[in-house]
Amino acid sequence: MPVPEHLEFFIDPSRCIGCESCVQACSECDTHRGHSMIHLEYVERSRTTQTTPVICMHCDSPTCAEVCPADAIKRTEDGVVQSARKPRCIACSNCVLACPFGVPKMKSDLELMMKCDMCYDRSSVGKKPMCASVCPSQALFFGTREEIEQLRKRSAAVNRFRFGNQTVTTKVNMMVPRDTRPEYVDVAAAMEEDSLGGDIMLNVLST
Amino acid sequence: MATLPVEKLQIIQEFGPHGAFMSGIRLDPGVEPDRIVKTHCCFCGQQCGIQLKVKDEQVIGFEPWLEFPFNRGMLCPKGVKRYLQGSHPDRLLNAVERDGSVLSGFKPIEYEAAIRRVAEAIKRIQAEHGADSFAILTGASLTTEKAYLIGKFARTALRTANIDYNGRLCMVSAAAGNKKAFGIDRAANPWSDIPKSEVVWISGANVGECAPITTDYVWQARENGAKIIVVDPRITPIARTCDLFLPVKPGRDAALFNGILHLMIEHDWIDHAFIERHTVGFDAVAASVKEWTPQKTADVTGIAVKAIQRAAEWWGTAKSSFLMHARGIEHHAHGVQNVLGAINIVLASGRIGREGGGYATITGQGNGQGGREHGQKCDQLPGARDISNPEHRAFICKVWGIEEADLPKAGVDAYEIIRKIDRGEIRGLISICFNPQVSLPDNNFVSGALDKLEFYAAIDFFLSETAQHADVVLPGSLHEEDEGTVTQLEGRVIKINKAVDCPGEARQDWKIIQDIARALGREHGLTFASPGEIFDELRIASKGGVADYSGITYEKIEKQFGVFWPCPSDDHPGTPRLFEPGSWNPVAKGSGPFYFPDGKARFNIAEYRPPVEDTDAEYPLMLTTGRVVSHFLSGSQTRRIGPLVEQYPEPRIELHPRLAEQHGIADNDWVTAETRRGDTTLRAMVVTTIRPDTIFIPYHWPGRKSANQLTNSAQDPISKIPEYKACAVRIRKAQGPPDWEAELEPQQ
Amino acid sequence: MGGSELSRPVVKSGLWAAVITGLLAVLIVLGSRNLAHLDAALIGYLFASLFATFGLTYRYAMWLQRPPTAMYWRRGWHVFFRSGHLWRNTAEWFRRISRGFALNLFIWKRGRSRWAAHWLIMWGCILASAITFPLVFGWIHFETLPDNLEWYRAYVFGLPTFAFPVDSILGFITFHGLVWAAFLVIGGVMIAMRRRMREHGAAAVQEFGEDILPLLLLFAISVTGLMLTASYTWMKGYAFDFLAILHAITVIFTLLYLPFGKFFHIFQRPAQLGVAFYKDVGAAGAQAACRRCGEPFASRMQVEDLITVERQLGYQYELPNSAIEHYQWICPRCRRSMLAVAQGTLWESARAEESRASALTNAMDPAGFE
Repeated sequence: MPVPEHLEFFIDPSRCIGCESCVQACSECDTHRGHSMIHLEYVERSRTTQTTPVICMHCDSPTCAEVCPADAIKRTEDGVVQSARKPRCIACSNCVLACPFGVPKMKSDLELMMKCDMCYDRSSVGKKPMCASVCPSQALFFGTREEIEQLRKRSAAVNRFRFGNQTVTTKVNMMVPRDTRPEYVDVAAAMEEDSLGGDIMLNVLST
Repeated sequence: MATLPVEKLQIIQEFGPHGAFMSGIRLDPGVEPDRIVKTHCCFCGQQCGIQLKVKDEQVIGFEPWLEFPFNRGMLCPKGVKRYLQGSHPDRLLNAVERDGSVLSGFKPIEYEAAIRRVAEAIKRIQAEHGADSFAILTGASLTTEKAYLIGKFARTALRTANIDYNGRLCMVSAAAGNKKAFGIDRAANPWSDIPKSEVVWISGANVGECAPITTDYVWQARENGAKIIVVDPRITPIARTCDLFLPVKPGRDAALFNGILHLMIEHDWIDHAFIERHTVGFDAVAASVKEWTPQKTADVTGIAVKAIQRAAEWWGTAKSSFLMHARGIEHHAHGVQNVLGAINIVLASGRIGREGGGYATITGQGNGQGGREHGQKCDQLPGARDISNPEHRAFICKVWGIEEADLPKAGVDAYEIIRKIDRGEIRGLISICFNPQVSLPDNNFVSGALDKLEFYAAIDFFLSETAQHADVVLPGSLHEEDEGTVTQLEGRVIKINKAVDCPGEARQDWKIIQDIARALGREHGLTFASPGEIFDELRIASKGGVADYSGITYEKIEKQFGVFWPCPSDDHPGTPRLFEPGSWNPVAKGSGPFYFPDGKARFNIAEYRPPVEDTDAEYPLMLTTGRVVSHFLSGSQTRRIGPLVEQYPEPRIELHPRLAEQHGIADNDWVTAETRRGDTTLRAMVVTTIRPDTIFIPYHWPGRKSANQLTNSAQDPISKIPEYKACAVRIRKAQGPPDWEAELEPQQ
Repeated sequence: MGGSELSRPVVKSGLWAAVITGLLAVLIVLGSRNLAHLDAALIGYLFASLFATFGLTYRYAMWLQRPPTAMYWRRGWHVFFRSGHLWRNTAEWFRRISRGFALNLFIWKRGRSRWAAHWLIMWGCILASAITFPLVFGWIHFETLPDNLEWYRAYVFGLPTFAFPVDSILGFITFHGLVWAAFLVIGGVMIAMRRRMREHGAAAVQEFGEDILPLLLLFAISVTGLMLTASYTWMKGYAFDFLAILHAITVIFTLLYLPFGKFFHIFQRPAQLGVAFYKDVGAAGAQAACRRCGEPFASRMQVEDLITVERQLGYQYELPNSAIEHYQWICPRCRRSMLAVAQGTLWESARAEESRASALTNAMDPAGFE
């Protein structure tokens, strides 16, 4: 069964508190029981408590699938990019290196790439994925567009991301400020930016 | 004698903590559970709803419970992996008694024989040294039924004054402050009021790690346009993106609140009408904060003047607000003063007792609220009644069917019980749901005191670090093996449901307590057949009290997803929000919304004093302690759950790079932190997210890794809470790893 | 691709398919001594095999022409035949063949029942194929010895080889080879079907055509084959003709299905061996350091190859006016972090605009620490 069309994934890393509920809950999902597919990244712990959960963004035209020499990665018709098909995956890591979001995981001992499949056993029957069910900050939200628009009055959903000259359109949305809503999130431009919420400011005031 | 029977390592080898991981049936994605049980998490005060999957009398996993309104399926990592504590290899499946001749130090003993040993020891010690020479230490993770039963057991069967509980390390400053100001000790507002606020003020609460689900409420407030103010010595996850962060020096919160009130008065950002109609004592407090100019406040708190001014302006001019605090301001020798300071700025704003006018303490333990209402506190009787109040005594004696003369007077607090043990005034001890060996400050002293006990019986499901000192350990029940109610941090009474039976010889705690009473020949009033029966008596005992549960039933709880107390009659829906205009309570009897005879709230002068042990040339830094998200309290459970151990395996010392540089310390180096009471050597975590004059160590670990070897046991004179959050410390780079590094697993 | 004219890869693949199928046909003619030893009853199988060969070769050739596959194909052979490494590579190849192919150790780690199912089916199919294809192609046939009717001699490509008594154990084993193969396959299919029927995870992602049909086909072939044996052994050939047709239908359908479905992995999978060599060479060679964090994260060769492949595929991850040049030079960890930083920056600037006070959000009194 496909993931119902009215249910969408919305992520907002600025809400993340790094608790790793998502990581712990991910391994409870039946399509990848015992393996956590989500990433919880400390952006730069020495300077900030900023963290971010990274799930598969489920690209419309997934780079991981295109660069797969074994043709092992399939996007189902509902737009979910599935884990590598076990008979085909040759564990070359092309997908791991090419995904612009850094999502796929190489399970070297299994000689198999595994990735976030939006908890397909749950989402394909209309349930929320594990991570979005438990996320205490709701940095990971799964629901309808009406719900999110009503709840997040200052936010808007964007599903286009820019990496240099390449724009990638995804099934998963990211929440950005509604007022200054950009056409896309320029990821590569963040190269020059610092992580946020870092230092306790010393000597900044002249009083 | 209660010294460890054998080398600690030998005990650990047998009894853990060992990590449990998913395996076998829990990893099999094809298993259909036999049943799914709606219950709650066994850990913190939020008591999130959760559904446990049960197969062959084992809890094999969980399913989010989306309908439960407080957390709507959300869980922190502890909640997600809590199911791994069931069927754990370390689980005590039978009673054990100490025996230095066996390798592990403890040998199995038949349950009834163990109960007889306990009863005989109680009789012998009390005959020789008096009834109060036998004490009982309990905990706030027990259900309200158990807490009630144990309070009754202590007073009617043990007949000792000396019962106290680990809420003493947790909630008591907030409780005392609330009683002084409002006459009642409960969150004033349900959490659903948070998103309706223009300003959310969070003082001394690491919300993201210690009350993770509350995060969504705070973010929802911001999404609705609220400003978030966070006061903390560390940039915690909730502080990272807040609108105003006040990096307070540990132990200076009363000063900050006084400085804020000073500015509110100066700029006339106060609600005169509310103060006039609903409060007393404002003028004295106003006079007391006159000296707290922004400059003085800045000098004391270490927060820049401009930041203080902005906070005062945002708070003072808001139309609606929610102030919450937690252990950060409460764990001090002047914790009650800090709480009173916070309440003063709430009362002055007039924003309480209405939607979008909120105030609450974030309760720490699972039943931190319910566990402090029904009589396991040394000075308290059920229904939040006072054991020194003759009327209250008479009421409870009638319910219990005992003579007033037989009801003991107020006893001493948990730490004082330890000191009395040390002085030889208390010779025997029963403990349940309390691990003071890890959780009390200056715990090397605690260790020495436990060694002086003539007899010590522990009731526990794992052999905790404290139970390692016991003569007899009775195998108690896990959270999922019993039913009962708890009251979560909003004041909502909820129902814990039984998922599986106790394994082996283990049995439900209330049965063990009643078995001891029976063996003592003092089972009168302690012959309940089920938690439901205990609850029915508790309802009667709490009737007419401040914490009135008399209208609450198990059915009503299930139907309404919990019932907020007070709930004084069967047709009463419960009281989500306190102090609403026109509301009735048994103390004011209609004269006003607050719980005093005149119905008015009290302003109390919040006197600022520095920490009992302030910095000096010898110990130039402040040590503060706290929690990490993947562990809970003394870690007796979470240090046994493999994935939670992996998430945060061992304590580390957090310090600022400036400080690290002064001592030549790099990230991950071994560092020794030392106070006048003890030292510990741990790895450094060099981060800019902490004040450079402060270090932080999480406290969940025992022995040489324990932060509480260092902390100060100075207590608040009113609440008796110990000063965990501030003491003087010095650090140095260690020459190498400590001895334990090669011997112990991270969680041990 | 596409359009009215046939594209280059299609033509190329078609030619390859024709050549390989032709080659097989020639071998069949030669091996069966001008079709003399062809069994007329097996003609249907023969044509299905030829079709399957065409389909498989065509698809394999198409697959090899995909940019990433082509890259790996070239690199794989290149690194295998590197001068000075051939002997070691050959030894390594045998090691990997035995662990991965013969024992399926990598599947063992994914799950015991999964392994058991695959291993049984795989060896059952190999055994069955080794027996049937040579018979169908007329490459092997048996004749009784002229002087002793109790003895059989096996002929390979028309050349006489060993002889054995019909009633011997060797004879029994040889003539019942397909029975043993059927037992292996049925056992494996049962295990696989059980897993697919009860596991929630498997149920969610499986597709009938891709995952269930192949199991049904294998089961059908095995069962109808066994029924044939049962029919002529114990039931005096009862319904033998009907069963023979039924069996032929299942086998021929499976042969036709080979190039399209799950079974294609049989031919695709050996490419993994090349990947292993590619990885070894990559690990030993220069590493690519992330141009954000500076940490090495992959072999330089693989990153450069990926840049080439991505360009061939039409991706434009180039970063003009930047020292980074191409997004492929950023490690996966930094990519994950950058997404959050990019989003956080948007929020921070939105908030700064709102309050114009971001400098004050986080202030400690300087007197506090000296």
